[in-house]
Amino acid sequence: MSAKRTADESLYPTKRLRQNEDQEYIEIGNEDDAIPPSPPDTSLVPRAATINFSALTRKLAEARRAKENDPENLTSLEAHRRQQDSLVSHIFMDQDFSWLHLKPDHASRPLWISPEDGHIILEAFSPIAEQAQDFLTAISEPVSRPAFIHEYKLTSYSLYAAVSVGLQTEDIIEVLNRLSKVPVPESITSFIRERTLSYGKVKLVLKHNKYFVESNHPETLQLLLKDRVIREARLFSTQADNSIKAATFTTTKAPVKGNLVIPGTKEAEKKKDDTRPASSNAAGQTNGTSDADLFTSVVGVEGDEIDEDDENVHAFEIHDSKIDDVKKRCNELEYPMLEEYDFRNDTVNANLDIDLKPATVIRPYQETSLSKMFGNGRARSGIIVLPCGAGKTLVGITAACTIKKSCLVLCTSSVSVMQWKQQFMQWSNVTDRQIAVFTADQKEKFAGDSGIVVSTYSMVANTHNRSHESKKMMEFLTSREWGFILLDEVHVVPAAMFRRVVTTIKAHSKLGLTATLVREDDKIADLNYMIGPKLYEANWMDLAAKGHIANVQCAEVWCPMTPEFYREYLREQSRKRMLLYCMNPNKFQACQFLIKYHEDRGDKVIVFSDNVFALEAYAKRLGKLYIHGGTGQTERMRILSWFQHSPQVNTIFLSKVGDTSIDLPEATCLIQISSHFGSRRQEAQRLGRILRAKRRNDEGFNAFFYSLVSKDTQEMYYSTKRQQFLIDQGYAFKVITHLDGLEDLPDLVYRTKDEQIELISSVLLANESEADLGSDVRAGEGDLAGTVTSKDFGPMRFPAAQRTTGSLTALSGAQHMSYIEQNKSANKKLAREAAPRHKLFAKRDKEKAAARKEARTAGHP
Amino acid sequence: MRTIIGILLTCDPAVKQILLSMNEKHSFIIEDLDDHHLVIKADEEYRVRKELEAELEKNTYSLE
Repeated sequence: MSAKRTADESLYPTKRLRQNEDQEYIEIGNEDDAIPPSPPDTSLVPRAATINFSALTRKLAEARRAKENDPENLTSLEAHRRQQDSLVSHIFMDQDFSWLHLKPDHASRPLWISPEDGHIILEAFSPIAEQAQDFLTAISEPVSRPAFIHEYKLTSYSLYAAVSVGLQTEDIIEVLNRLSKVPVPESITSFIRERTLSYGKVKLVLKHNKYFVESNHPETLQLLLKDRVIREARLFSTQADNSIKAATFTTTKAPVKGNLVIPGTKEAEKKKDDTRPASSNAAGQTNGTSDADLFTSVVGVEGDEIDEDDENVHAFEIHDSKIDDVKKRCNELEYPMLEEYDFRNDTVNANLDIDLKPATVIRPYQETSLSKMFGNGRARSGIIVLPCGAGKTLVGITAACTIKKSCLVLCTSSVSVMQWKQQFMQWSNVTDRQIAVFTADQKEKFAGDSGIVVSTYSMVANTHNRSHESKKMMEFLTSREWGFILLDEVHVVPAAMFRRVVTTIKAHSKLGLTATLVREDDKIADLNYMIGPKLYEANWMDLAAKGHIANVQCAEVWCPMTPEFYREYLREQSRKRMLLYCMNPNKFQACQFLIKYHEDRGDKVIVFSDNVFALEAYAKRLGKLYIHGGTGQTERMRILSWFQHSPQVNTIFLSKVGDTSIDLPEATCLIQISSHFGSRRQEAQRLGRILRAKRRNDEGFNAFFYSLVSKDTQEMYYSTKRQQFLIDQGYAFKVITHLDGLEDLPDLVYRTKDEQIELISSVLLANESEADLGSDVRAGEGDLAGTVTSKDFGPMRFPAAQRTTGSLTALSGAQHMSYIEQNKSANKKLAREAAPRHKLFAKRDKEKAAARKEARTAGHP
Repeated sequence: MRTIIGILLTCDPAVKQILLSMNEKHSFIIEDLDDHHLVIKADEEYRVRKELEAELEKNTYSLE
């Protein structure tokens, strides 16, 4: 009881201030119970972690007594162990693993494996943790990676992925055993054996626009054909001799691996004749030599080509439309199909002559992720997970440039279609004629035999009422064979839509890209058989430490609700509640203080608010610029260029439009005042806005991420939920309950009660619809629901005119009435011209113009 | 004149607002002193604490 109470009180330190100091009931029946409660720690302790101390001590005492009576017929070690077991085992109930005995040198081994669910706990502070991490990311899925203790999970899919990058069953077990503090439990070894045995035996191959199931082992194919679903999906080729051929398979030579160089890597630059696997081990080679031997042999991809010994490949053809069922069925039969594409030996499809521009250099982790994909000289299908701002696009483009076949890029909205096209033009030498766009507005085809098409998921998956042009375009897409299909933001695409895309478009290899492999519904597993296993997942903290993304300090600022606002909050219905906790005067003040503080430090600040009403109110009151869906394009560009170039404009307010489509590398501080409920993805996306900060490589540079939360409201719940994903990536959120110096801020807004009451009346007067989130962002045709992070609210509503009665004389000013515009939008005050440039540049421009003029006059005398 | 045993409650302004709204359904407050202090009926104390706890718990996210 005592332990639980302290945990509770630490959660609400100020709220229940010693309400009953005098009558704190302490009953001392047993001496063991009178343990003083441990000092309340400030961290949030999950309920389950609190331990019943009194029971523990009682048990300790009991055991001590028992020990005295115990006969001395056991060796000291055995006795000690038995002792340990009986001591603590009952506390852990179902999770009692005290029978797993530690190895004598367990201190130097970094991990522990749970025999029941395959969870692996890693000590991230161990000297060999880095190598262990490389190994673990290859064989298991990262669950949570905070600073000191990491958690991974062994799943069927992760083992499948491990096998597909060339790891061997026994090696996995061997290395696990070496790293584990306890001998690897029997349940785990058998799980690994069972799962890896059948993996990688069956391949799905696309040849001449037909799908084949391929294997080196005819027995495996026979086994699969015994299954009804697969048998029905089988397609008999017409020339087959019905007697013998029907029972046998087509047999061909197995492809052999050769030299492949991914463009943009160091190898390509130096023109070294080196195969991919060697470079993928570069990370391993930097380790100590003794360790390196152990790990590179396992983590590396040398031991690839599991079935190299058998040169003959057996195959049977299956129906296009049944691909998905067959894949799913194979997964259920535990013979998951590998999808590989031997693009270098594909002579049927025309090559696409594209390459990365010579100046383009890809980063080490991008190289690692690609080496997982092209590990054996062929293109594997799968998913690559990289944080926002870490260059996912470049990974995709490099992959396309490696395969050099026709490529289809699918993204979530028409805005990102244009971005992808632009990025392709920027990083590679693809010409305008080779790249085409297929959206609701533009329907182009590329010239020549091969090229790139960029489109949206919904354009391709749409089944009904297509225009004539899109119908023709779809025929173009479905009629051909694609070398490569790039799937952007795979985590948001609904499974049904995905299935349509995958079945209608014939592609040899698929690559999914995402930053956040989380869904609010747990449909992630579907991706595993629709695209392929997760090939690579970057560690955010690692990238931050190496300076690829910015270091971010996260903080949650608790703003107490003022009594007036809280009274209304308790009375109102849910929608209006949201408006009330956004407009909380204390939050207003905290926001003002933080903006002031960071502007003084020289930071560029972005303030995010999903709620447009709050956005405008804040921005106008604090005299800052703002952009929301209703802001016109020219005004938007003007505001952004001021923010980027002018030292006078250091803060802008953004609505949901800023979540994804606006790129501002200048920003170094982010404040969030209202957000989309408990969306973990939005939180990660917003953090992504400052991860690519330009100044990230300055020494000691930190970006800041604040989320302002009104205390005692639902916002607290959502805020904690939102943070979960980032916490799992290793970010720590500090809780700030009081901002030092807030009261001393000159011109603090809403300081007096009168002002606060005025504010609340304006909030209460506001329309119910004002409380809606993201009402300003409208989804374009062909955008996926939820990707522009908004529902479609239809055309923008204009506020209705208000009628009031008044005499004409009064309204015209006869009765001393005068008009004044209060809270003028700072946007309006902006000068019409672009942000002022530095004198030096202005001078240079002027000189250039003068020179040009001179040259022209000289040319035409 | 009947004697009512009262208890002095110290709380923060937000919790006081919750208590006031609870009071509307089922009266237990004897005297509203200021932003931080209330006097409530002693025999209602347990129930009030329970309800308050439940109310506050609604805003806490737990992993389970």
